[in-house]
Amino acid sequence: MNAVSASAGGGAFPDSGTAGGDVLLSLDNVVKYYPVRVGVVIKREVAAVKAVDGVDLEIRRGETLGLVGETGCGKSTLARCIAGLHPVTSGRITFDGDDITNLSRRKMRPFRRDIQMIFQDPYGSLNPRRRVGSIIGDPFSVHNIASGEERKRRVQELMELVGLNPEHYNRFPAEFSGGQRQRIGVARALALRPKLIICDEPVSALDVSIQAQILNLLEDLQSDFGLTYVFIAHDLSVVRHVSDRVAVMYLGRIAELGHRADVYDSARHPYTNALLSAAPAADPDEAAARQRIILVGDVPSPLAPPSGCRFHPRCPKAEEICGKTDPVLEVKPGDPETHRTACHFPVGRGEDLARAADALRADAEPTLG
Amino acid sequence: MSLTEVQFAGTTVEEAPAVAIQGRSPWQLAWRRLRSDRMAVASAVVILLLCVVALIAPLIASAVGHPPATQYPYGTTAQGLPRPPSGQFLLGTDNLGRDLLVRIAYGARVSLLVGLSSTAIAVIAGVAVGLFAGFYGGVIDGMLARFIDVVLAFPYLILALALVTVVGASLPIVIAVIAFFSWAALARIVRGQTLSIKEKEYIEAARAIGASPLRIMFIDILPNVIAPVLVVATLLVPTAIVFESTLSYLGLGIQPPTATWGNIISDSQQFYQVAWWFLIFPCAVLLIATLAFNLLGDGVRDAIDPGTERVFAARRRRRALPVEGPPLVEPPRPAIEEE
Repeated sequence: MNAVSASAGGGAFPDSGTAGGDVLLSLDNVVKYYPVRVGVVIKREVAAVKAVDGVDLEIRRGETLGLVGETGCGKSTLARCIAGLHPVTSGRITFDGDDITNLSRRKMRPFRRDIQMIFQDPYGSLNPRRRVGSIIGDPFSVHNIASGEERKRRVQELMELVGLNPEHYNRFPAEFSGGQRQRIGVARALALRPKLIICDEPVSALDVSIQAQILNLLEDLQSDFGLTYVFIAHDLSVVRHVSDRVAVMYLGRIAELGHRADVYDSARHPYTNALLSAAPAADPDEAAARQRIILVGDVPSPLAPPSGCRFHPRCPKAEEICGKTDPVLEVKPGDPETHRTACHFPVGRGEDLARAADALRADAEPTLG
Repeated sequence: MSLTEVQFAGTTVEEAPAVAIQGRSPWQLAWRRLRSDRMAVASAVVILLLCVVALIAPLIASAVGHPPATQYPYGTTAQGLPRPPSGQFLLGTDNLGRDLLVRIAYGARVSLLVGLSSTAIAVIAGVAVGLFAGFYGGVIDGMLARFIDVVLAFPYLILALALVTVVGASLPIVIAVIAFFSWAALARIVRGQTLSIKEKEYIEAARAIGASPLRIMFIDILPNVIAPVLVVATLLVPTAIVFESTLSYLGLGIQPPTATWGNIISDSQQFYQVAWWFLIFPCAVLLIATLAFNLLGDGVRDAIDPGTERVFAARRRRRALPVEGPPLVEPPRPAIEEE
């Protein structure tokens, strides 16, 4: 199980133990562009929104991979590409040894049992005109697994599993609170006992106390059913709590990837450092002591991403090469095999990035005025 | 354990007793609103009466002893003019001595049959086309949308005339023509709704589960578009009835001696100065039928989507709408009362 992966995912990534068995899902240079077309009758493509711009990723069985990034970095698009909801422009997605890139709906059907998704909006992800029992039982009907009494029994079983009252089988989503609706979404995703569940910001729309409940529920389900999660969020503390490994995305690419401890405690990418410094600290003393790294400018538009390293216009450590050559996601000297960074000048240990960032801002100020 | 006790025990929402609240579906709520709308209920009663009359038309004919197509020599005056309402002919006669009451009753059959069946066909066709066009988008939508626009732009009367000249006027033709001109408006509405619903997350969720397009269209999207469809359908019926009457009036519809309201009105044109009953009664019935369906349609629309104020809304405001479910907490008792 710990052997060097013979997966089609390109590259050998030796497993360093901990949570994560063999490779369940691998993404090989996945690219997703949305073409911008102009024209009246015949439309020409003039530009493309480069939502996902070359992502290599491996997800191991049983682990939770956290995917973080700002709004617009492409993490939701990537999630939907994995789930087969959007066709990818190029690249390859391999699930459990099978190539599932851009399969037709018919061919993708058996894989839909193994890959499921939990959505962000508890109010939008449930059909308001259908009863909850019907919503949760949908997977059973679609795949002709159970019907009638058997289906009802299994749906009620699922409802109990996620902490809902099975008597509420015939209610409409409007009669439930946000946290309960999210549980309904979890029950629906769990119906066919999938192998992989993609959680697209499942707790972002809930208040903090309910967030904790849902996260605990997800954790329990993972250990009970041996699930693998891709957990997408922009809340770093949540990701820290749930993930085994973390991937940081910026403008459609992965900036840093590694085990949770490595990424949070010894982040090498300047962007990751800036992100972590911006996350609010619960302890006021710690918050006061922390030096915030403030970046210049805004995230560029994915319509026209910067050349070379996508982060170089805002990076306090950028040099000429950063604008010319794309950095490769690779292991930097001194890091464990599992910790990879895409940067030409990774942040060293003890390096004060805040000062460099301030200096960069001071330079940029006259032009910003 | 009484409800009051449970409320203060501080239990979580999940542990609340299952029978505390009677969940009401959106349709049940709409039905209650409709029931409390006097105008809509009155209209529904009128329509029901009309249906009954249409159904028992043969009974009416045998009750008065006058079949609809029989021309009675004593039904007209010496000059060949219609006779006014009397004990023998309750609503009078037409210019050929036929019992007007019986003919109007039989006319109701035609009108209701044409109105309801052409609406049914239009709804089925319109919803199907709208769903397909909205869901698939792209080329299919492009073609279907243009087709809908073309149909909507057609001058219906000219086409009806052409069709009838070529194929001949009959009941199926009339139903087909009316349905053909009604489905497009519905299709356009359904298409618009589908286009916006398609982007919602629960449709994405359905695709993530692996649902087929047909299943998504009819099980996920359709329940959400049915509300406006219902309203338009209820308003299509009177349009169809009037359309049929217009065709008959112009001689393009059901041919004599079959009694239809349009035919009767058409025949009465020459005689209305001397036989007011000949014109007034069929017109009145047509008006009542159309009005009833229109008011019912208004009521349905308000029940499904209560929003804008209506003329009779004041009356509704004064009457409290029925409370949904038993009260959650018992009304507080004054503290000074001794048990």
